[in-house]
Amino acid sequence: MSGYETYKIPRKILLLAFALLLALLGGREFVELRTMKETVVVSPAFTKVVMLSEYFPPIRGTGVDTPVYIYDSGVPGGSMFYLGGTHPYEPATTLSAYVMMENLKVEKGRVFVCPHANRSAATVGMLGNAYPKFLHVETPFGPKAYRIGDRNTSPLDQWPDPFTYVHYPSGQNLDYTDARNLNRTYPGRPDGSLTEQLTYAIMELNRKEKITLFVDAHEASLMYPVVSTYVAHDRALDMAMMASMELSATEFPMKCEASPKGLRGLSHRDAGDFCDALVILMETPEPFIDRVAGKITEQLMMDGKDEFLQTAADHGLLFTDYNIETGCPMWDRVGRHLSGTRAMIRQMNEFLMEPSKELRVSFPAYSDLKERGLGSFLHDPAKADPAKVFLN
Amino acid sequence: MDEFLRVSNELIHQIYFGLAGLCGLVLLRGLFFRNTRKTIVYDIVYAYTIIPFLLRALHIK
Repeated sequence: MSGYETYKIPRKILLLAFALLLALLGGREFVELRTMKETVVVSPAFTKVVMLSEYFPPIRGTGVDTPVYIYDSGVPGGSMFYLGGTHPYEPATTLSAYVMMENLKVEKGRVFVCPHANRSAATVGMLGNAYPKFLHVETPFGPKAYRIGDRNTSPLDQWPDPFTYVHYPSGQNLDYTDARNLNRTYPGRPDGSLTEQLTYAIMELNRKEKITLFVDAHEASLMYPVVSTYVAHDRALDMAMMASMELSATEFPMKCEASPKGLRGLSHRDAGDFCDALVILMETPEPFIDRVAGKITEQLMMDGKDEFLQTAADHGLLFTDYNIETGCPMWDRVGRHLSGTRAMIRQMNEFLMEPSKELRVSFPAYSDLKERGLGSFLHDPAKADPAKVFLN
Repeated sequence: MDEFLRVSNELIHQIYFGLAGLCGLVLLRGLFFRNTRKTIVYDIVYAYTIIPFLLRALHIK
């Protein structure tokens, strides 16, 4: 009998048991991330919540169906659709949506907020990147947990990936993983992949609700040229340029770029081309996703301090200001999104000069978060009216 | 049409999970009943590669 045949079956059972143990240990963490719920306490201005599938029923019950929170002043005016979590590994976008939802006042017009634009991507971590599962925001009532998700739709919800992703309707060839990237599938199509259907649903909301301003919030690595930047569709370019000048003069440096016509599938290009809304995309600096950053920890996510990025900054390799003493903390990035949106609304009102498209809203700004901290704008779900508490 | 699309989506989705489970079973058969590649290294490979298909079939990862 050869050596291999000796104790063959017990050895294989042992190896299988070891593999199952690994599957159990890993699986528990995956399940924890996939089933974790974030809480949000909506402000008194809240009107109702609907699922995105109200606008495109085929996504009902799928992993990409996601809640949209509506704040209607009852006074006719303009409307804004704020999208957080297009890429859930950019969590300042979702947090900015939550801070907005918890503190929003609407005097005129309507506001639609979707904190997890790609909910499927928010339930899975980045493959191979060893990201922590959660981040915690310090609040007066203790640390509050939020998920750190992936960039693309979970393979549990959409699979397999094509060899080459061909964007619809341009026919442009893109990276195969972008078939699951919400911000490469605009304007979407009703009979396309699940992510394309999600994008189509977002576009249907824009069209059916006649959205005036569509804001797609993102975060970027500091070595990416489009960081600390508005990227504006043609119709929104003038007002975005003014908003960037206003912000750079008063609160923080903010660049502005015109949406390239040859780069397809992005919100600032194809969303603007296929609906009437003024479309902008905003990017804040997120050291956590920089390729040269050191250990990828929750602390790096929250304070954005990294010695390797400082070295890169010293060599002029970054596209935004960086100082390790201040880093890029979460409050700063959330505040940038909030002030960036406020500046866009102000400029939109001034540029359009149309009462029927005027939007009057208030929510915390960058300076408020700088003064009082991010956590002070989040409310304790345990003490709130249960009717105002939602799970995402 | 909308309902047809929704049901089609769900059907394809479930077939996909079924196929993942089937791949896991094929690997399990390979671990215990294969006639080639008879070394302990392949035992480890067959046992280890069951993990992603198991997690996929169970709707976990």
